[in-house]
Amino acid sequence: MMRDQQKLKTDFCGMQFNTPLVLLSGCVGFGEEYTRVNGFSNRDVGAVCLKGTTLEKRLGNAPHRVYETPAGMLNSIGLQNPGSRHVVDNILPTLDFSETRFIANVSGSTIEEYRQVTEIFDDSPIDAIEINISCPNVKEGGVVFGNDPAMSARVVEACRSVTEKPLITKLSPNQTNIAENAQRCIDAGSDAFAVINTLMGMAIDVDERTAILGNTQGGLSGPAIKPVALLKVHQVYQVCRKHNIPIIGQGGIVTANDALEFMIAGASAIGIGTALFYDPLVCQKVNAGLVEYLNRHKMSEISQLVGSLRPHDN
Amino acid sequence: MSNRNTMFVEDAEVISHKAYAGGQYVLRVKSPEIARRAEPGSFVHVSCSPALPMRRPLSIMLTQDEYVDFLYKVVGEGTRLLAQRTPGETISMIGPIGVPFSPESTRPRTLLIGGGVGIPPMVFLAQRLAGLARAGEFKPFAILGSEVPFPFDSQPSKIIVPNMPDGVIASMPLLDDWGIASRLASLQGYAGCYEGYVTDLARLWLQGLTEQQRSEVEIFSCGPHPMLEAVASLAREFQLPCQVSLEEFMACAVGGCAGCVVKVKTDTGTEMKRVCVDGPVFEASQVF
Repeated sequence: MMRDQQKLKTDFCGMQFNTPLVLLSGCVGFGEEYTRVNGFSNRDVGAVCLKGTTLEKRLGNAPHRVYETPAGMLNSIGLQNPGSRHVVDNILPTLDFSETRFIANVSGSTIEEYRQVTEIFDDSPIDAIEINISCPNVKEGGVVFGNDPAMSARVVEACRSVTEKPLITKLSPNQTNIAENAQRCIDAGSDAFAVINTLMGMAIDVDERTAILGNTQGGLSGPAIKPVALLKVHQVYQVCRKHNIPIIGQGGIVTANDALEFMIAGASAIGIGTALFYDPLVCQKVNAGLVEYLNRHKMSEISQLVGSLRPHDN
Repeated sequence: MSNRNTMFVEDAEVISHKAYAGGQYVLRVKSPEIARRAEPGSFVHVSCSPALPMRRPLSIMLTQDEYVDFLYKVVGEGTRLLAQRTPGETISMIGPIGVPFSPESTRPRTLLIGGGVGIPPMVFLAQRLAGLARAGEFKPFAILGSEVPFPFDSQPSKIIVPNMPDGVIASMPLLDDWGIASRLASLQGYAGCYEGYVTDLARLWLQGLTEQQRSEVEIFSCGPHPMLEAVASLAREFQLPCQVSLEEFMACAVGGCAGCVVKVKTDTGTEMKRVCVDGPVFEASQVF
């Protein structure tokens, strides 16, 4: 059994992950919320991404913030967080770094804010920094940084200038050419990617004729977006393979089979988010399914699968 | 402070599932871990059907040994699918979740006000207070309201409650059995019920108390938002402490996603608190 678990060990940007699974930002608070659940352990995952953090405290959006949709859900939390200084001074000291790797999620309204938040996390025990480039740029009419390759690169460049820690850029699916964006972010210094962030969506209460979410629009997650996410990972991998840049594949992953698809498409690690809401113990099941697959295919380590998609013969 | 108690993921076996008028259901499941640890105000996060991507929060009505009872009303797709579950099937539940009600022993006259599907937590609190009431430590009184027929056969109460209008005698038999006084309210003209809002009946009861008696009252409530607003306003009017249990669309119910927040007034300004683990019970004065 221990031998089996060894097969899941994953090197990601020099970090040693227990398993390829990563708990996604926004789903697990600041790292310890799910440890309330009997049987849940952060040791079952390679890393935990903390909630999106800005320079100053933010209250977030008005309710409703979540809503079920076919095979998925919409969310619009609005980056509720206590501010980066509070996270570093008061929350990081409470995390058990012996269990897993912790990744900060840096957000901002300006490039300067991204730089400042990254600088604060750089001087902390955090293992890596994920850049949430799907925030509106208040200085350019609210255009989302991540939907424009040039603006994405400028954010990455600013973060890169203040840290040597691994930088993971979380790419948005809400853009024309995700591969071009990935290339620009690599040139700007990104060490890895998380692919994908949520797809923007909306739901309406027809009796009230109002948007259900307090913020009108929100991010769609869950199995509904899995095929989209898988294609985006496949596309980004075509760029990343040339630079040896790893990808966290994410978007609607629920089962070991889902995880395998993403790894074969090119993901080195697997993000679990919405699936956790339905089954807080889902990670153990995905791990067990991955081990079972490796044994069945006589593979000794999970990394052998990454990008192993075979071309069609035709 | 948020609740850090351990939650269990349990496959609960359906023991019984009874339908009542108005799309109401009483569900009894065998769920030992949750039954053992639940407190009045606790809720569970229920997988209504594997076909749905999200669970639904459901407040607990009572616990008995290994069993947990729920009362819910079909309001959407989740509860519609839940209503189809039959005895012998299992339903995945996460729980118990949340900060429970905390009655203050210096205020033994606990006034429980429940409306519609807000009735269950009031029944649970009554169940928990029953022993203390027998010992004379608490003198609870429950006012329950519904605009669809109550999901039980109401009976004339054997317990006298002063200052009730003539003919307001209907009670919830279970509470009577526990020795807890209750009265029912509805605008639908049901026999023995007070014709009006729960808060109007509560006001009559409060007005009938002496000043000394009123200083011993604490209010606990759960129900639709407008009702809770009225309860909070009543508590303000009589300067009484009041705890309310809230609900909101919920994703994780574990404190991870901050999807279920409510705006709360604190000493340091406005905060967004999670209904799941910072609540669902809040001081009424902080949220209304």
